[in-house]
Order: sequence, then structure tokens, then C-alpha cells
Amino acid sequence: MELTPIDRFRFRIPRDAAAGMRTDCVVYASGALLDQIRKDASLTQAVNVAMLPGIVGSSLAMPDIHQGYGFPIGGVAATDWQSGVVSPGGVGFDINCGVRLMRASIDASAARPKLRELINQIFRDVPCGTGGKGPIELKPQELDDVLARGARWVIEQGFGEPADDEFTEERGALAEAGPEKVSARAKERGRNQLGTIGSGNHFIEIQYVEQIHHEEAARAMGLHPDQVVVLVHCGSRGLGHQVCTDFLAQMGAAMKKYGISLPDRQLACVPIQSEEGKAYLAAMRAAANFAWANRQAILHLLRGAFRRIFGEGLELRMVYDVCHNIAKREQHRAGGAVADVLVHRKGATRAFPPGHPELPEAYRAIGQPVLIPGSMGTASWVLVGAEGSMQETFGSVCHGAGRLMSRTAAKKGRNAHDEQKKLEALGILVRSETRDGLLEELPDAYKNVDEVIEVVHNAGLARKVARLRPLGVIKG
Amino acid sequence: MYEILEHAADLGFRVRAGSFPELLERAAEALVGIALEIEPIAERESYPIEAEGDSNESLLVNWLSEVLYYLDGKLLALRRFQVNSLSPERVAGVAFGEPRDPSRHPARLIVKGITYHQLKIEQNEHGWSCEVYVDV
Repeated sequence: MELTPIDRFRFRIPRDAAAGMRTDCVVYASGALLDQIRKDASLTQAVNVAMLPGIVGSSLAMPDIHQGYGFPIGGVAATDWQSGVVSPGGVGFDINCGVRLMRASIDASAARPKLRELINQIFRDVPCGTGGKGPIELKPQELDDVLARGARWVIEQGFGEPADDEFTEERGALAEAGPEKVSARAKERGRNQLGTIGSGNHFIEIQYVEQIHHEEAARAMGLHPDQVVVLVHCGSRGLGHQVCTDFLAQMGAAMKKYGISLPDRQLACVPIQSEEGKAYLAAMRAAANFAWANRQAILHLLRGAFRRIFGEGLELRMVYDVCHNIAKREQHRAGGAVADVLVHRKGATRAFPPGHPELPEAYRAIGQPVLIPGSMGTASWVLVGAEGSMQETFGSVCHGAGRLMSRTAAKKGRNAHDEQKKLEALGILVRSETRDGLLEELPDAYKNVDEVIEVVHNAGLARKVARLRPLGVIKG
Repeated sequence: MYEILEHAADLGFRVRAGSFPELLERAAEALVGIALEIEPIAERESYPIEAEGDSNESLLVNWLSEVLYYLDGKLLALRRFQVNSLSPERVAGVAFGEPRDPSRHPARLIVKGITYHQLKIEQNEHGWSCEVYVDV
């Protein structure tokens, strides 16, 4: 794939690189990251995204980009709200997979002696869901309420504190959700999965603040060095997965009807304004609300676990919750004019800059918190959105370190017990529901998260606030 | 029997069979093998299962999506599959297994969905084979 450097952190794939492209691709990366990115098919997938009808601006690739299915993971594409398409593949199976960060009223130095106890407590209280049952079983009407109202409904049931949803993207619920567009089977998969994290790369991580890079922003978020924080990574579980499956199954026929042809069936899409497009978006929003409700229920369970170990006075407060698999209607400046677009973020995070009206009052002056989990043994980052994201990437930035190694390669020649001991020697306790879950997510299966962060910081898409280091991990 | 295929983020498998109906059966068994420990599953019950599609590819993806729904939505532990009828638009058969008991049927991995990504179905003089990638 021919790439032209724009500057140190930007590369372009021109529009004439492949037949059918409607726009160019812009890849955010360093030279070293680009060498890794070229090893899989992610750039071909970014080129395929550039073929989507109604795409506005460029097909964008973040520095954590890796091969997905249809869309690359780490891909961003905006399509025109009136004439463009929506692609369920541009959201993925795990609708509103995302990250939630909480700060604890305890420092790492004080928490360490009870860390093993805490990890065991969380492992008991917050199920992965691999056993097929979660801690909360919803009646049909309750599930519809969750799908319509997201995190707020969970808080009103007593599973949360009143301010929790203030620090959640979209306040924990997308408007215009359509619970009636979610199939009976999706509801069946979701009804007992609220409050579960799932498996794969999902986790709960106990961390501490290692370094502060932006004093004012850290202060606004209530973060200080050595403080314990908790990062939760999960999504809409079986409910969201089934919504994606249901709509992908309909898309083949719908694409024929609308005369759309693309090189990869997983990129299946329909006009936003078509009956199928509207139904998908209504169901997707409902699934997104389920994911926010899920992360809210997990926060409630975590509060219980922390208080059992550290006493009733322990506080666990929201820093922020962001989604990184979603399609959202937003207004952006494209070529000078304000454009009404649907922004697909597939493994990409919203990163609104200071002053944006959608930010909570407490963060209006510093920008939206962006939460970037790294791999198990390394580091995670808190950033804030910067002005460059609005000018270049439809208010978007990366979402993680990005996988480097396949799951099979990560497991080769290793044993879970030894790897667990190695992590413990680094001061990181790990409990995993499945043996493979641990081995597949080992640190060297991922790119270096610090390099990814350097790119988005230096490209002006987001700004570093704090680097977080892990103390303990609970995995599916 | 199935082979696991490498993928940066997800997981794939390849199965071989003498016929397309058998390919559907083997692929369903491979999917269960990725999600659950197969050994403890007993064939105590049979469950009718069917799927529709407009090509061999969509029949395979929709059939496997149905199997996944049986595992994750109906909470069944399935061990063996038998295709009883097949037309260009529809496959119908039976799944053998039992209701899932997490203490006896530990999970290996939660599969989120079946993708069309790099999906391959091939037929030659030796029989049929397919490659399927799943989101995990």
C-alpha cells in the first residue's frame, strides 16, 4: 500500500490507490507504528471504508489501528446524514464497548496490603458472565426501560449515586433509542447479562496514578499521584452482539435493493434514511444504552466490593465513561461549512475539545476526558480532547494500544501459571476466569501504548493528562 | 475436528467435510469447541435448529449465528449437530446436548458474533472446506 507522508505523524493513501474509493485515507502513526500497521490488512480495510457511499472527509485510521472485520479497529468514518450510509460493521458486534474510570478515596500505598483480598472480592462480586448468568435478572418491561434510559434507570433502582451519569458520555443514554427494534432473541441474550464484563479483552483493572502531565485537567478530574483508580472495559454483551448479527443478516438483501456494492460483505451498509437504516440506528442506540447500564451496574458492584475491604467510608467517584464502538449523529465543520454527519467510531473514542457544549460543566474548560487502556502489564492513559480532533478527525481519537499478535501466537509456548507469577513479580495481581483469557491478553500481544499516545498528543488530537499503572486485573 | 486460524484481533477456524451438510455440522461443532469445554457435555436432549440464507456463505453464517444464540441466549451446552434438510435458502436439523450448567460446562471464550470477514467455502475432489472468523 502506497503511503505519502504528510508530516511526522500523518500519512495519506490517495483516492486513486484503489478503484471505487470516494475519498483518501489519512493514517495517524509514527514511522515505527506504521511498520507494525503494515503487517496486517488494516490499511486495505481503511481503503474499503473510503468506498462507503456518502462518506464525508477522509477515511481515518488512528495509531492503534489493527485488522478487524469490514472496518479496521481504530477506524473513523463520517457519512452524510441525508445521503450517506450507516454500516453495522462500522460499529461492530460489541455496540458501545467502552471504558469507565473511577477514582477511589485511597492511595496505592495504603491499598497494597489488602490488594489480593480486594481482587478476590471483585472476582466474586462482578461476574464475567461466562457461566451464562449475571447478578441482575431483568423482567421484560425492566429490560425495555434499560434499553430506553440506560445508566439513569440503573441509578434510579438504587444501583448508583445521583451524579454518576453526569460524567458519562451522553449522560449514559442516547436519545431516540428503539427498544421495539431490538429482537426477542437479543433481549433473551441480554436479560441476565447486566452487571457482567464478558471475556476476550474485557477487564476490570485496579490502577494507580503514576504521573500527572496536565495539572489543571487532573485537578478537575480529582486525580493526584499514587491515587487508586479503577478502569472497567466492557460493552453491551450478548444483547448488542445479537443486534449486530440480526441486522447483518438483513443487509445482504437490503444492499441489493439500494444498489450498493462493496468489496467486503462485513462492510454491509444501507442508507441512513432508509427504513432498514433507521431501524438499525434505533436498535443500536438501545444496545448502547444497555452497555451504559451495564457499566453502571458494574460500578455499583465495585463500590460494594471496595467498601467490604476498605470500610463504608470508601468513596468511588466517576471520572468519566466513554464508548469506542458507536455511530453517532453529530455536527462537524467539513470544508468550512457545518455538516450533519453520522460518525462511525470503530475502536475510536470521542475526544471533544475544551469549550464543547456537550461536556459536563466540570470539564468544560479542560476538554472531554479520553480513557485509553493499555495492555495488562503496562500502562493506561487519561487524555483530554484537543482542538485538532474537531478540525481533522470528527472529534475522535484512538481507543487503546492496538493488538500486535494473534491470540494463538500469544499463547504459543507459554503457561498461564508462569505468566501470572511474572506479572506478580511486577506487582500486578491477575485473576482470570479462563486460562486462555490470561495468555491471550499478555502485554507483548499489544503495541506500546505510550507510542500510540505520543502520536495523538503530538498530532494535536488529544492532550496527555495522566499515566496510570496497574495493580491488579480481573479478566474473563 | 477443526484447525484454529490466526487473526490479529479475532479467531478463525477451518473445517473439512465430505458434503456441504456435513460441513455445516462440523462448523457448528467447531464453534462450540471454541466457546465451551466439549468433553463434559452429554447428549441428553435434542433441539430443532434452522437457518435461512441466500447463498452457501450466508447459510453458513446464519446457521452458526443460530448455534451461538442457542449457547448464549437459550443457555444450552451442545455437542453434536445433524442436518436433516438443506435447500439453497434453508438449512434445518437437530442439535444434541443439554441445558447449560456452568459448574459442569465451563466456558472457554465468549464468542460475540460470526463474521463474513475472509469467509471461504471451497469444494474440490476431496470434499468441502470452510474458513470462518468469529469476533471474540
